[in-house]
Amino acid sequence: MLEVRGATRRFGNLVALQDATLSVDEGEFVTIVGASGCGKTTLLRLIAGLDQDYTGEITLRGQRIVGTSLERGIVFQEPRLLPWLTLWDNIAIALDNAPLSTAAKKDAITAQIALVGLTGFEKAYPAALSGGMAQRAAIARALVGHPSILLLDEPLGALDAITRMRLQEELLRIWRHERVSMILVTHDVEEAVFLSQKIVVMDSSPGHVTANIALDLPFPRDRSSAEFGAFKRQIFDALHDNAAVKPPEIEYLI
Amino acid sequence: MLFKQDLLWDIWASVFIIGQAFVYGALLGVGLGFAAGLSHRVELLFSGTINTIRHIPSVAWIPLVVVWLGLGAPAKIVVIAKSIFIPVFLNTLQAIRGVDHNFIELAQALKLSKRQLIRRVILPAILPVIMVTLRYSAGLAWALVVIAEGISGLEGMGFLIFRAQNLLMTDQLLVCMVLIGVIGYALDRLLYMAQRRLLRWQRGFGGSYA
Ligand SMILES: Nc1ncnc2c1ncn2[C@@H]1O[C@H](COP(=O)(O)OP(=O)(O)OP(=O)(O)O)[C@@H](O)[C@H]1O
Ligand SMILES: [Mg+2]
Repeated sequence: MLEVRGATRRFGNLVALQDATLSVDEGEFVTIVGASGCGKTTLLRLIAGLDQDYTGEITLRGQRIVGTSLERGIVFQEPRLLPWLTLWDNIAIALDNAPLSTAAKKDAITAQIALVGLTGFEKAYPAALSGGMAQRAAIARALVGHPSILLLDEPLGALDAITRMRLQEELLRIWRHERVSMILVTHDVEEAVFLSQKIVVMDSSPGHVTANIALDLPFPRDRSSAEFGAFKRQIFDALHDNAAVKPPEIEYLI
Repeated sequence: MLFKQDLLWDIWASVFIIGQAFVYGALLGVGLGFAAGLSHRVELLFSGTINTIRHIPSVAWIPLVVVWLGLGAPAKIVVIAKSIFIPVFLNTLQAIRGVDHNFIELAQALKLSKRQLIRRVILPAILPVIMVTLRYSAGLAWALVVIAEGISGLEGMGFLIFRAQNLLMTDQLLVCMVLIGVIGYALDRLLYMAQRRLLRWQRGFGGSYA
């Protein structure tokens, strides 16, 4: 469905992304893992159409991507809610240009707010939301227009372990409910193994894809199972092969 | 009795001038500020002219404009509107340049039209700056009304207070001072209330820190 072929993005002399190739099937959950600075956000911005200054080819359902589109929802690395709009309006703004009746928009927003578990906070301003709530609102905003693919840039990166696990389950539920294709960027190997059907491993300088790993475990996954652990091991190994995350040398001081 | 009638009339004359000047200056400032903020070409077109006008203080414009438009209200409205226009224009333009680029990117991702971008993102983002500028320039403009009426006028609070000085009517002079202060205060409160209403969403540093 989504095909990235040989995408290269330079910033001056710096090659932020070199020859990245990956594909996402209809309804597939793909995760990108890699060290900080390896070009994950850069790649996501290319797919979102926010950055068109690249070489290579990115197509969605055979069509080359030109500019942004409501077909491709995006959740940024931080919630990026507009502080002057209530939670409701922050989500409604995504439907400003949708060809829907006012009543249909209202229903869609109500349903989306319920899906991310924020019912009752419609009138709250972002300043009054917790970090996790704000991130869920951002997810609702990206989903309310029913995109065919959702791009998530470390949406849970800044949350505590408990909230993060809860939201991972929520993401899974949303994914299965909406049947939307997902590309999730994360630092967290466990998160990647818990959520995805395919993991793309990246490495830095220059940013490039080093491995494509398929995970055929059934959902929901048991974090403590042996297979889960084996996949985690495999991803860690793939990351460790990359110079950027070499295990620290052990020093003995006596 | 006659004096009371006059006083009310003079208050009205001054309030009329500041009211009109404020509306024109603010609208023009925000309007042109947006036009320049949204287009580099418009910015280039205006910034030279405005920077030239800006460096001649408003008080220095009064004699020339009075020669053109006479001693009545229009001349004062023009000069005072200009004194409001300049800071509002410059701050609007600068505030637009300072809008968080992340929000512009968000608007792109949401496919907002330029109009929607202005209404939903840029205008609310710069409103705090505009409100502060309006309050600040309203204070300056009020002072300017008094001066303008004092140097070239036949009515208004400024006329009264300078006349009182010339006639050594200290009592009238003091009444005028108090009234000018009260009107200035009321003007600022009015704008402050508008600001509070418009910026309800804001939760910055409230001032208490313990
Ligand atoms: N607009 C830009 N101008 C110049 N260099 C940039 C720009 N955006 C990104 N880069 C560079 O490209 C590289 C990749 O950045 P990117 O934001 O994609 O990393 P990332 O993988 O998302 O990292 P993180 O996990 O920390 O978010 C970095 O070296 C960064 O300095
Ligand atoms: Mg990033």
